[in-house]
Amino acid sequence: YVYSRPPPWSDTLPTIFVITPTYTRPVQKAELTRLANTFLHVQNLHWVVVEDSPRRTNLVSNLLEKAGLNFTHLNVETPKSLKLGLSWIPSHTPRGTLQRNLGLHWLRDSFSNTAPPEGVVYFADDDNTYSLELFEEMRYTRRVSVWPVAFVGGLRFESPKVSPAGKVVGWKTVFDPNRPFAIDMAGFAISIKLILEKPHASFKLEGVKGGYQETSLLKDLVTMDGLEPKAANCTKVLVWHTRTERPTLVNEGKRGFTDPRVEV
Amino acid sequence: NEELWAQSVLEMPKRRDILAIVLIVLPWTLLITVWHQSTIAPLLAVHKDDGGDSQRDLAAGLDSKEYCLSDRDIVEVVRTEYVYTRPPPWSDTLPTIHVVTPTYSRPVQKAELTRLANTLLHVPNLHWILVEDSQRRTPLITRLLRDTGLNYTHLNVETPRNYKLRGDTRDPRIPRGTMQRNLALRWLRETFNKNNSQPGIVYFADDDNTYSLELFEEMRSTRKVSVWPVAFVGGLRYESPKVNAAGKVYGWKTVFDPHRPFAIDMAGFAVNLRLILQRPQAYFKLRGVKGGYQESSLLRELVTLSDLEPKAANCTKILVWHTRTEKPVLVNEGKKGFTDPNVEI
Repeated sequence: YVYSRPPPWSDTLPTIFVITPTYTRPVQKAELTRLANTFLHVQNLHWVVVEDSPRRTNLVSNLLEKAGLNFTHLNVETPKSLKLGLSWIPSHTPRGTLQRNLGLHWLRDSFSNTAPPEGVVYFADDDNTYSLELFEEMRYTRRVSVWPVAFVGGLRFESPKVSPAGKVVGWKTVFDPNRPFAIDMAGFAISIKLILEKPHASFKLEGVKGGYQETSLLKDLVTMDGLEPKAANCTKVLVWHTRTERPTLVNEGKRGFTDPRVEV
Repeated sequence: NEELWAQSVLEMPKRRDILAIVLIVLPWTLLITVWHQSTIAPLLAVHKDDGGDSQRDLAAGLDSKEYCLSDRDIVEVVRTEYVYTRPPPWSDTLPTIHVVTPTYSRPVQKAELTRLANTLLHVPNLHWILVEDSQRRTPLITRLLRDTGLNYTHLNVETPRNYKLRGDTRDPRIPRGTMQRNLALRWLRETFNKNNSQPGIVYFADDDNTYSLELFEEMRSTRKVSVWPVAFVGGLRYESPKVNAAGKVYGWKTVFDPHRPFAIDMAGFAVNLRLILQRPQAYFKLRGVKGGYQESSLLRELVTLSDLEPKAANCTKILVWHTRTEKPVLVNEGKKGFTDPNVEI
């Protein structure tokens, strides 16, 4: 036999569409590399990478080609006005919003005339850490599934509150636990079917209070009691909201020391 | 087989009998083929029968007491099966890569080791030596290692605390990870016999760096000590060995102290196991090591500059990044803790 990476596509397993917004900065290639190394273990995974850029960059294009994953490469640039909040209403556009919405749009577009595969959509930022088990938990989501996320909300982890009957009844968070969906982007997955059923559900672009981005999407898709708790009724942590330090590049000086043609 | 064939032609059974026997034998042949394929590695090639009637050969084979499955008996098709296992199957021909990772307990430890394991799980013939900076091997690491499926060795040694300072500070004169890496070197020397060991490469991989899969294949061919660039060290986009036109290392492209004997990061070199075993006194110096000289303290006992083997396209490609993970903000845990401490993160 021949060892293959990723594992062969299966006709029976639901597909996991992973939407990852990304932007150029020194650690970008490292982040995407180790993320790809994780995804390469997951069967029937389709990676939708959306660059925050005016054009698809060579760095990301080459990385995706070499990785061997099933992928779609998109891009949309966040307008500077949104980035700086210069519109007359002081707005807060969390990063990645336009990119995630483009990912959703692509999905809806791709399956407007064809029968969609069974599967889920998951928003995976490029600096988080994902266990392989997580993907198997989310694979069989009927509407929206949820689970704990480490290192968010100033806590070791935030988690949905699950009743003995297995229903989500609230949120174990310190920061604003009364949000309709007090959950991090990495803590839920949505079935493709539901995304296509509700073609107008997107992340709100402007005027979103901190911590309410996820709510802005989920409120149009599901109610709390319709959520499916995963990860042993939300008692296991399978995803960590890690953040990578910005590297010190002080010795590059004004004119740069290293060869700029060497891709980092 | 030629003789068998000739012999049985003389005793040729009836056509009906041949058909019956073929219908019985053929499924078994295919079954044996599948079993054979699933237990041993290589691709099955197409074996077309080159002489005579295949059906008769099968029948003849069955009549003979010395029947065995020969090339000529495999009649049908190529089946290239793609099999996915994690990690990939062990190979008898590839040198083993012994990856030495010191680690210590802190909130992001499990996350770091999880994503590192996800990378290592792609690399054939990899042996992970995880050395905890702890008094005892912890259940978290024990469970994690077992659940990955990787080939591993789990060690521990605690860096002595500096009792004079308040709090949980390790002796600041001992760079972090040193005792742990040295323990791994000692374990390797105790485990492998220098005259008789399988080929191996030793690589020091910290748990927060990022490694491309290509890197491991580059280091696999190390004869003595191989080197390559590392991103995000020395205050630069990357540091790199200087390689001349003849493919020899003659210096170091760094801003910080380029005159160190080996101005290279821990993640920027690999050592052939044989060399480790041949120089049993070579260790990372424990105390009195100037910042940035730790790697030199080991390498100068092993090799000279001109012996270094440059990899990664003569040190022009970045295959490893010295990433660092932010300390997570846990302020909302408060004094008594908010989250369930029994839930492992």
